[in-house]
Parts: sequence; structure tokens; C-alpha cells
Amino acid sequence: MNIEFNEDQIDALKEFMNVSIGAATANLANLLGAFATMHIPRIDICDSDKLIPKVNATIDLTSMYYVTKQLFTGKFGGECMFVMSEGSAQNLGKHLYDIENCTDDDVNDAVIELTNILTSTIVSRLTQELDTGVQFFVPSSQFVDAHSIININDVTHYSKIIIISTILEFKDQQINSSIYILTKDEAIESLKMLIDKKIEEIYG
Amino acid sequence: MKILIVDDSKLARMGVVKSLKEVEPNAELFHAENGLEAVEIFRQENPRVVFLDLTMPVMDGFEALKQIIAIDKDAQVIVISADIQDEAKQRVLLAGAKNMYPKPINEEKMLQIFQQDLLI
Amino acid sequence: MELQCQDILLDSLENGHMIVDDKFIVSFWNRWLSINTQISKEEIIGRSLEEIYPDLNYKVLGRKIKTALALGTPSFYDTNSSTKFISINRNKVTTSSLTFMQQQVTISPYIVSENKVMISIYDISELYETKLSLKKEIEKVNKLNDKLESDQEIIDKNIMMMKTSLNGVIIDVSTLFCEFFEYKKEDIIGQNASIFKSGNVAEATYKELWETIKSKKPWSGEVKNKTASGGAKWVQSRITPILDENGALFEFHAVYHDITNEKLLEELYITDSLTKLYNRAYFDKVIGSIAKHQRKADTDFVLAITDVDHFKSINDTYGHQVGDEALISVANTLKNSLRENDIIARWGGEEFVIMLKNVTLDEAKMIIEKVRKSVENSKVNNTISVTASFGLTKYNLGEDTHRTFKRVDDALYEAKKSGRNRIVVK
Repeated sequence: MNIEFNEDQIDALKEFMNVSIGAATANLANLLGAFATMHIPRIDICDSDKLIPKVNATIDLTSMYYVTKQLFTGKFGGECMFVMSEGSAQNLGKHLYDIENCTDDDVNDAVIELTNILTSTIVSRLTQELDTGVQFFVPSSQFVDAHSIININDVTHYSKIIIISTILEFKDQQINSSIYILTKDEAIESLKMLIDKKIEEIYG
Repeated sequence: MKILIVDDSKLARMGVVKSLKEVEPNAELFHAENGLEAVEIFRQENPRVVFLDLTMPVMDGFEALKQIIAIDKDAQVIVISADIQDEAKQRVLLAGAKNMYPKPINEEKMLQIFQQDLLI
Repeated sequence: MELQCQDILLDSLENGHMIVDDKFIVSFWNRWLSINTQISKEEIIGRSLEEIYPDLNYKVLGRKIKTALALGTPSFYDTNSSTKFISINRNKVTTSSLTFMQQQVTISPYIVSENKVMISIYDISELYETKLSLKKEIEKVNKLNDKLESDQEIIDKNIMMMKTSLNGVIIDVSTLFCEFFEYKKEDIIGQNASIFKSGNVAEATYKELWETIKSKKPWSGEVKNKTASGGAKWVQSRITPILDENGALFEFHAVYHDITNEKLLEELYITDSLTKLYNRAYFDKVIGSIAKHQRKADTDFVLAITDVDHFKSINDTYGHQVGDEALISVANTLKNSLRENDIIARWGGEEFVIMLKNVTLDEAKMIIEKVRKSVENSKVNNTISVTASFGLTKYNLGEDTHRTFKRVDDALYEAKKSGRNRIVVK
């Protein structure tokens, strides 16, 4: 299986992601009344065992995290993972529920809501750019320590993965989080085909 | 007519090129991959129209816009960005851009730009 | 095929489905909902959810509806939460962990132009119950692990332990072990356990140790080990062979107990303070034990007794101090000219007793003759010559040691009487 991406393909994927993230940011402002900055996404195509070190490099290993995972299927299928520190999640809960002391349920629900807006927008926009459809599944959220975000045994079933990651910041609310779009093996191939088609269309 | 297209993504620049094909088929096109390159080309070539992206490495679109307007206060800059928040739009209009459009751009929108925003 | 009766379709689904708009006005309520909430279609359609369920957080619901409409994709409630949407009683009797139905609630865009969404409720109580009980089990395991960890820490700090591979290479040691032998853990791991040999333990002991543990049996014994700074420590050690699942030898685990102080006391108790030879009490104990047990390996010995000639006149002429020095000199001569496993003790006054192991009477006589000459040739304070007389006898199997002593005393008496500085064998 050839999963190497050439320069044009990477450039295209990055551009689609920029557009998607731009749309996501606008939706957050619109729906949650929160003004966010999102960074230019990083795209890594790597062996699946690199995922854990890559995630660990961006977090504080002594903190607890809210981790929300949402699956999406279609020609381009995969998993969105959203990682937010306990402190940020509590700030988000306060902001969305508009109360000083949120219950764990409130915080969890707020994280799910934010994740859903982000992943839905990013993935919908991305698949729209790629002229394909997508179906979303119910997101599930966990509150775990930094070492339990991903179980090493679970990831190693895949040979190659694409990690598209970006950081979301709400400066006013002191909320920070990392978003990972993970896709594997066959989905990578079909993503490449979709990108090629799009490049052909624009360059052609 | 000289037109400068500024975007760090080749695909995004090609998108603009494609949408210009019918609308302005005889334009002489210049490409820049970041704000710094854009300012230099603008200084040398004095293009009639600039299509400018906002998030770019080295120098971003906001800064490039400021410098281009400083060189020529009547420069016709159209911002094409993935950042579609109102806040960004207010900023670029205040800095002297003629208008701002969300990415990606197509032929229909390009026609609208030439008809409504630009003085050609 | 175009569906004619959507109402019937939604009524036949085994999930809850309602259609509401952004003002929460209900325009559809399926059969499942009617049955589970006890609120009929007729009662609720056309009215706002707020009237029926005033306790819901409508700010949150409103936002979720807005989100679904704006994005064109579903929005969700947290499936782990128990308090977010309309509560439905659960009638399960056999367990009490969930009194209300655990729900998965999805808000999907329905007719966007009319701001209408479909809210679907799925019963995930069974799944959630499993999740809860799993969580409880995991907590139990974690608690046990914590306990185990703290126990291990206590062991590490309070017990001397060493793990070695089958060829004696050290794999792990406890903190107390390192402190006791003055090593850093990283310095001894990978070394051979023989670095602790002090040289004071008979090779036979080590041989016995290895043979025992190689045959998969535990070994216990006292050994004197060397510390990093060159000191020596006595330890009671117990080495247990560890077997793998197939019953083959895998590792050795040793536990040690410091007996250095006990050993020092014991040595003090059996040593003659002047000559540093064994004292009479110890010799009595050894010979008594041999006579009692009659082991073949032990009973083959020759008993020798020696008395310094004219000791009284040395004392009288040169004083007690020189007399003591003469005794020390003779004791050292004896120690230096006999074998390590021969037992020498001060018998009292100027008398010494020797047990020569595994020799014939003739061989013993040759050995003692050499000793006699050594005594004759040595000089106390480089000036005073001393001699000694010797009596020798062989221990007879099964014999009462009084008889042996009687014979050897007679022999010594004869040696004295017949001119001193000589050996008599009986």
C-alpha cells in the first residue's frame, strides 16, 4: 500500500484543513459565543506507534484530561480525538452553563458539545471540499490521567495513521485543547484519491 | 493587467488562477508564498489587484496588507481567507482591503469581485 | 419507494422519537415515548416541552438544537450523564444500580427551514450498567495494586533480599540490602553474587549451597559476607530456588538476616581471652557432641594434650607477664604449625588440647613432632627458650571421652616423667 503523500497532496490537505478549521472557529463564535484562535494544523503521516509519543509531547503528563472521541465514516472515515485539560474543561463548563460550580456532568456535556461542533464542522467541511459524504457517530467522553488517553495495545492494530492536529485557544475564557483527526490504512488511500481528484480539477 | 496572488498554499493559488481564467483571461499573474514576498513583488511590479491570504508563515496577511497600503494607499487588495469570523473582516476592511471572501473562491465569486469591489 | 406513513414508521421503532422546534414546541411524539413517559401524543403535541418538563436546562437544549440546525449534523448529550434530558423510570427489579433509564440522546436536523429537529432517545441502560460494574471492579483492582505497592515498599526498606539468575548474576536487590552492604544498587546489579565472599566461609559450604539449590531445594545457613568498604558481616541466609511454570529452575531468591552481633558474642563466649584459642568450654562441647552423635566423619580423630615444661619457674624467674607471653607464644606456634580444621584450645593453666582430624596415630605423631620442634626452636621475647611435652591417643569409636582423656593424660604424665620435651603415644 502506497501511503506516501507528495508535496502537492500535503499542500492540498493542509489548505482543506485551513478552510475547515476556519469554518469551525466561526461556528464556535456563532453557537457558543466564544471567540477562538486555531493554529495552522500539523499533518503527520507515521507508523501507528508514534501516536502516543506525539500526543504526550503536547500535554502535561501529571494532569487529568477530558478526552472525547467521535467516529465518522464514509469514503474518508476515521476518528476525531479531542483532548482538554481538567482546568480548561471546567472553564468551558462555566462559560457554557453560565454557573460558577459546574457538576462533572455539566463539564462533560460542555466538552462533548464543543467537540461535536468542532469535529462536525471540520470533518463536514473537509469532506465537502473533497466532494464526499460523511456520517457521524455519538461522541464518548472520558476523564482520565495523561497516561490513559490512548491505550498502546489498541493503536498498534493499524500500520499507518495520519495525524492532523491543531490547538484551539479561547483566550478570554482560558480554554486550551488539542484536536487530532486520526485515520488509518484504507481510509488514507481513499483520502489520497479524493485529494488527487480535487487537485486535478483545480490544476487541470 | 498585473495581478498578484498571495497564499502559502499552491492549491489555494491555483484555485484563484482557475477562477480568473474566464473573468480576466489576459492577466499577467504573479505568485507570492508569504507576506514578505508579496510586499517585495508589489513594490517592483505595482500590480492592479492583489488577492491576499491571512494566515501565512514569515509574514502574515495583516502585516502585508498594512505595508502594501503604506506603499500605495489606493492598492486594490481582496482578502481571501479561511478565517471567516466577523472580527477578522472588520480588521482587514479597516486596514484598507476592498473586501474579504471566505475560501475557496470560485468563478462566480470572482466575477462578483470584479463587478462590485474593484475599480478596473 | 416513497414512504406514505412516516408516523407509523416512527411509531413502530423501539426508540423514542420526537420532533420539536427551536421554541421547544412538540409536533411529533412517537408511541415508545407515550408508553415510557405516560404522556400521550394528544397531551403534548402543540405544547412546549417546557410546560411538561419545567426542570430541563433549556439554555443547553436550545444551544444543541441551534447547533444541529446550523451545522446540518447531529448534536448529542453526554451518554454518561444521568440528569440531562427527560427522565424515564426503569422497572428493573433484580438490580438497583439504575433507577432511571440511561439514555443516548441525539438531536438531528429535521426541517431546517422550519427550525425543526428530531430528538431521538435510545435506551442504553444495560450497557451503562455493565460499564458501572466494570468500573467498580477496576477500582477494586486498583486498590489492591496500591496495597501491593505499599507492601513492596515496606519489604524493600526492611528486608534484605537478592535475586540472582541461575549462574549467580545479581538481578535485583532490596534497598536495605544495599544499605547493609554499603553498595549502590546500580553498582551491584549485573555482578556475580560471589563478590560478597569474605574468604572466611569454607568452600565446602558454598559447594553444599549450590548443590542444594541446583536440586531445587531451599538452602539455609550462616555466611560471612564482605561489605563494599571491606568490612565483614555475618548473615543468616535462606536461598529459595524459583521455578518457572514448567517446573524448571528460573531464578534464585535470597533473604538475609544480620547476625553479626550474635556472632561476635558467640566468638567471645568460646574464645580464651589470653591466647585467642578456643576455650575449654568450647572444646568440651565439640568433643561431647562428637561422642554423642558418633558420626563417622567426626569420630576419626587423634587427641593430643600438651603442657609447657617448667612453666612455674618461668613465672617465678621472669614474672607473670612474661609467663603470659610464653603461653601466647606457644599458642601461636601451635596455631601456625597445625591445619586449619584442627581444633586447638587452652585446657587450663599451661595446658593445651588439640583435636587432629582424619589422621592415623602415626601421622599424628609426625605432625606433633614437628610442633614440638617448632616450640623448642621458638624464643619468647627473643631470649627465653621453652619446650613442651605431649601426650597422644586415638579416639576409639563409641568410646566415652573420659576414657580418652584418661589415656592422653597418662601419656602426658609419662612424657613429663621420662624427661620432658617429648611425645608419648598411648
